[in-house]
Amino acid sequence: MQCAESLRVQAYFDSEVDAVSAAEIERHVEHCSECRDLLQDLEKVRSALRQGIAYAAAPAPLRARILQALDQDSEAAPHSDAATRSETATGTEAHRDAMSRRWRPARQPRIFGGRGFRFGAFSGIGGAAIAAAIAFFFVLPTLSPLSNEIVSAHVRSLMPAHLIDVVSTDKHTVKPWFAGHADVSPAVADFEAQGYRLIGGRADYIDHQRSAVVVYQHGAHVINVFTWAASGTRLPADTTRSGYHLAFWQQGDIQYCAVSDTGWDELLGLVRLLREQA
Amino acid sequence: MDDKRARFEGQVLPHLDAAYRFARWLCRPGEADDVVQDAILRAFRGFDALRGSDAKAWLLTIVRNCHLTAAKQQQRRAFVPLPEENDAADGHAMIANDANPESETIISDQKQVLERLVASLPEEHRTVLMLREIEEMDYAQIAAVTNVPIGTVMSRLARSRAALKAKWLKEVEGEPRAMR
Repeated sequence: MQCAESLRVQAYFDSEVDAVSAAEIERHVEHCSECRDLLQDLEKVRSALRQGIAYAAAPAPLRARILQALDQDSEAAPHSDAATRSETATGTEAHRDAMSRRWRPARQPRIFGGRGFRFGAFSGIGGAAIAAAIAFFFVLPTLSPLSNEIVSAHVRSLMPAHLIDVVSTDKHTVKPWFAGHADVSPAVADFEAQGYRLIGGRADYIDHQRSAVVVYQHGAHVINVFTWAASGTRLPADTTRSGYHLAFWQQGDIQYCAVSDTGWDELLGLVRLLREQA
Repeated sequence: MDDKRARFEGQVLPHLDAAYRFARWLCRPGEADDVVQDAILRAFRGFDALRGSDAKAWLLTIVRNCHLTAAKQQQRRAFVPLPEENDAADGHAMIANDANPESETIISDQKQVLERLVASLPEEHRTVLMLREIEEMDYAQIAAVTNVPIGTVMSRLARSRAALKAKWLKEVEGEPRAMR
């Protein structure tokens, strides 16, 4: 008889669960020998396949044939084949449908490549003005490397075994740990009574320095509070990226960013507590 | 080179190898090339529909659609000849009849066994397994490519992994019970 958790254990193995479920599954596996064996088998099958199956590449003649066919297709009227287009579109809809069930990073507008390059064809002041307007409306809001960096770090932290370096609900354990592992010593507190449980800390790399990350749990959600020494970088405005809310603030010479997929109210609740506490 | 072509080469063609591998797992030997070429051309014509989504999963979805179309056309043909025993192209794949097994190293021998075991899995199990382990796609992508719900992806994955392990044990270590 197979353990009822086997599909979840498989999902854990495939990095398909969030940090909270991962912790649950790890606890389950500790006392379920069947699921321990399952994890071992999954790993064996994976390594056998990844070592044993040839990563075949498309043969050069096929590649050449395809490029040639594309040349011909580009020359011919590209949009005449209605049947093909609708068939392809059906595949795409089903595809997008499945994709929308899960967070996907949005593609950034291609300002410097592709279409944007056509602005080079405009000459003189008119062209420059248009380009400047485009840059103002599109480039500025999308180019906040700090926000991107933090969202990436947050998502990375939710992968199994990446969330926490020091597991503790005790601020007197977490705070000293940062002393040897990060360039800042941020405010650390437990707000369990208010629904924000301190679960640990982690070192990360943000804004070119070793950042201290304090990890809280709120219901089923993980909130990462990134902290780093203010280095003259102006903080971006609070924003939402790919489904994650980011709240920024500064206290003294430390800059903070709280990130989570909780609602804004819940996230800002923690921010308020942290600011009051300092 | 025009703009669309350049974007296509930048976003979609990097996945040509993945498309080729996927086609080889789906199709009978010798059919993969045509399916891939067909898929790339259709992808190019429908490229405007891709917009922001995942180019690799999108391309593999088209590969699978092309394979299904081709398979349907094949079914309409009344008679498909079985490969002759001395048919070099097909016979080799069907019968493990190596003239000189001593010359093979153990590792490449195991690789052949593994490829044969994978090939013996049902198509819908083989494809999810390969998409997960070799192409390293996540469940949502696999669901999109194979056009089934995520729950089905999970159960197919579990069954194909268990089946492959059982086949492997039987092949390499003899009857599993006898060995323990």
